[in-house]
Amino acid sequence: MGSKSISYEQALADYRVEAERPLIEQHDNKEALLSAYHPDYRADTMTTLKVGPNSGDQCHRQVAASIQADARIDEADLAGASVVETDVLVIGGGGAGCAAALVAAVAGARVILATKLRLGDSNTVMAEGGIQASIDKNDTPQMHYDDTLAAGHGYGDRSLVAQMVMDGPDVIRWLIQQGMQFDTDEFGDLLTRRAGGTSANRVCYYRDYTGLEMMRSLREAVRNSDAEVWEYSPVVELMVNEQGHCAGAVISNLKDCSYVQVIAKSVILATGGIGRMHLNDFPTSNHFGATGDGLVLAYRLGAKLRDLDSFQYHPTGLAHPHHLAGTLITEGVRSAGTWLLNGNGERFVDELKPRDVVAAAILKECAEGRGIHTNDGAQGVWLDTPGLELRNPGILKQRFPKLLNLGKKAGIDPHTSPLLIYPTLHYQNGGVAINENGETTVPGLYCVGEASGGIHGKNRIMGNALLEIISFGRRAGAHAAERRSLRGHKRVSIDHLSRLRRELTISNMPMETKGPMLFPVCAKFDDDVDYEGLRRNRRK
Amino acid sequence: MSGDSQQLVNVVIDGKAIQAPPTLSVIQALWHAGYPRVKGVGCLEGVCGSCRVLVRRADEDGVKVELGCQTLVEDGMQAMFLVFPNPTHHHYRLSHIQNSWDLHAQFHRIFPEVANCRHCGGCTKGCPKNIDVERGVALASQGRFKEAGDLFVECIMCNICMTGCAEEIAPNHVGLFARRVTAYFHSRPSNLIHRLEQIRTGELTIEDHDSGQ
Repeated sequence: MGSKSISYEQALADYRVEAERPLIEQHDNKEALLSAYHPDYRADTMTTLKVGPNSGDQCHRQVAASIQADARIDEADLAGASVVETDVLVIGGGGAGCAAALVAAVAGARVILATKLRLGDSNTVMAEGGIQASIDKNDTPQMHYDDTLAAGHGYGDRSLVAQMVMDGPDVIRWLIQQGMQFDTDEFGDLLTRRAGGTSANRVCYYRDYTGLEMMRSLREAVRNSDAEVWEYSPVVELMVNEQGHCAGAVISNLKDCSYVQVIAKSVILATGGIGRMHLNDFPTSNHFGATGDGLVLAYRLGAKLRDLDSFQYHPTGLAHPHHLAGTLITEGVRSAGTWLLNGNGERFVDELKPRDVVAAAILKECAEGRGIHTNDGAQGVWLDTPGLELRNPGILKQRFPKLLNLGKKAGIDPHTSPLLIYPTLHYQNGGVAINENGETTVPGLYCVGEASGGIHGKNRIMGNALLEIISFGRRAGAHAAERRSLRGHKRVSIDHLSRLRRELTISNMPMETKGPMLFPVCAKFDDDVDYEGLRRNRRK
Repeated sequence: MSGDSQQLVNVVIDGKAIQAPPTLSVIQALWHAGYPRVKGVGCLEGVCGSCRVLVRRADEDGVKVELGCQTLVEDGMQAMFLVFPNPTHHHYRLSHIQNSWDLHAQFHRIFPEVANCRHCGGCTKGCPKNIDVERGVALASQGRFKEAGDLFVECIMCNICMTGCAEEIAPNHVGLFARRVTAYFHSRPSNLIHRLEQIRTGELTIEDHDSGQ
């Protein structure tokens, strides 16, 4: 934030609501704008991985530090740890983990679902937009397939995408069978709406609460299934068998500060994304638990990752007031015609361009001194909601009750005052490489949902995340359940950590950082006196 | 200039005296003062229901249950994090309810305490989403599940109504039951069924998906 930028108070005093505003700059050269200002394109944010299966690949600097970090535990920590056996261990209690656990339990496998916080604490519950499935008569799975690959700039895995789009309608049926409601017309047919960058109305939804409705149905279904649920139980390490296959996990119990070794025929990682790593110091729209734990655990075990240089920054995160920073303002507000204005009251980008372009344009305004800064360190540009209301009286109340609710919490009335917004870290496009069953390159280890990669290539369209978690969650659950008849492991250990530590030493990597991160820095988890179990093992 | 130029307020959170800017939520104030906090923290957007806090304000006698990520600190405020309650003791599987004509009877078998509702209004009063919880329970008790469920659209399953209910009715789970059976027994979208049939018969497929491997 340059000292040139305009103060919040000054910008607010200068602000006038107007019915017409010309667009100053068109940003015709999209590539130049992106490469100069989008965080993914900034050379200083990337580094080359030195150890592990992706050695030599480009990766975001903070993600690299995390997946090349030392482990939290060693052999000595397992000395007193109790041992539990199961068929399928699911790690993560969001939509993907619940779908996997439900399907595996119904198939007859013994299932343990371990989650870091409570069952349902996840990004799933926060999803507003909806879930894609080609159901509309003017739509086909082929069009869904083409849209998904095009949005991902051609980097998506074609067979994974083909399978997911063909799963779409059956995923909706399955969700209804779990007790989830969708918005329907007077005849009971599913309503669909269009996502940016798609060729048909394909997003099924339940008001602006699709994720909440999905998560509370799935949570209730899991609670009433045979799957065992372990809450406040973050996984700190995976375990290997004599062949180097995944054989279970070491779980830390936050309630009594103890470790448990869960020996499993199959492990399904469903740990979600990385928003709370705050890449490049960006605020995030993500859940408190989104710290990329699955990436770290899988990578250490030798699983290949992909597209770790690609993240989605949603253009309109609330930047002020401080206690709501990062909160998402839905894309629908811009679709309805709301302008973005810099500190001088000028429009600077076509607001309906793709997310990455709009986000880069906002960052450019801030970098060049036309942004707005607050006295507690935030910066951003205006989302001109009063202008929208002036041109369409009544629209805010009618279409955006959730935004007005946000305004109430912020102490700002969007009818009369613009909102300060700044791009917010929203989604991890890549992740652990998987096949059609959600299997990683390590036998016995599955990965589903945001933690996995391959579906979205380098960019995701709205509604495909909720489809992916259920499509692959169910497939991984079913496939993992079949492995219950395999013979047990001969020897289960954390021997892979010796290899990790050797490689880190040879490559002169710092050993101070421990992973997985488990909780955001702000929560000071590793200093938490209530949770001595983990702190004791920090070799400071 | 950062937060230090702002006026600070004095609050007590979990027994710890804290000074913090009034722009912070209860959770943020705790972090701001250097205290760790992991338990009870969730989405930080008011939709997950994790961060339930008991709040007493300086000018109020009563105690309220609110969400710690949504409540801003005020001078003289006392706040205390609530332990999350154990899961409800009510168990049912939608697939075990074979006959939807039997639903009303099944409901009372699964939630027998509903008949004991004292109409004390504690559930409704505590709801951070202003849901008419008590009315929802009454409607479900009469078998009016669609109507009951529609009242619980914004329910975040924070379980505050469950904690507040002396009869252990678990009103939010009643509401969710009403919503789930409505979808499970009555949602049969013809456009979805038609598309499933087109896929099953092989009428719709994906072409050219192996070329890029």
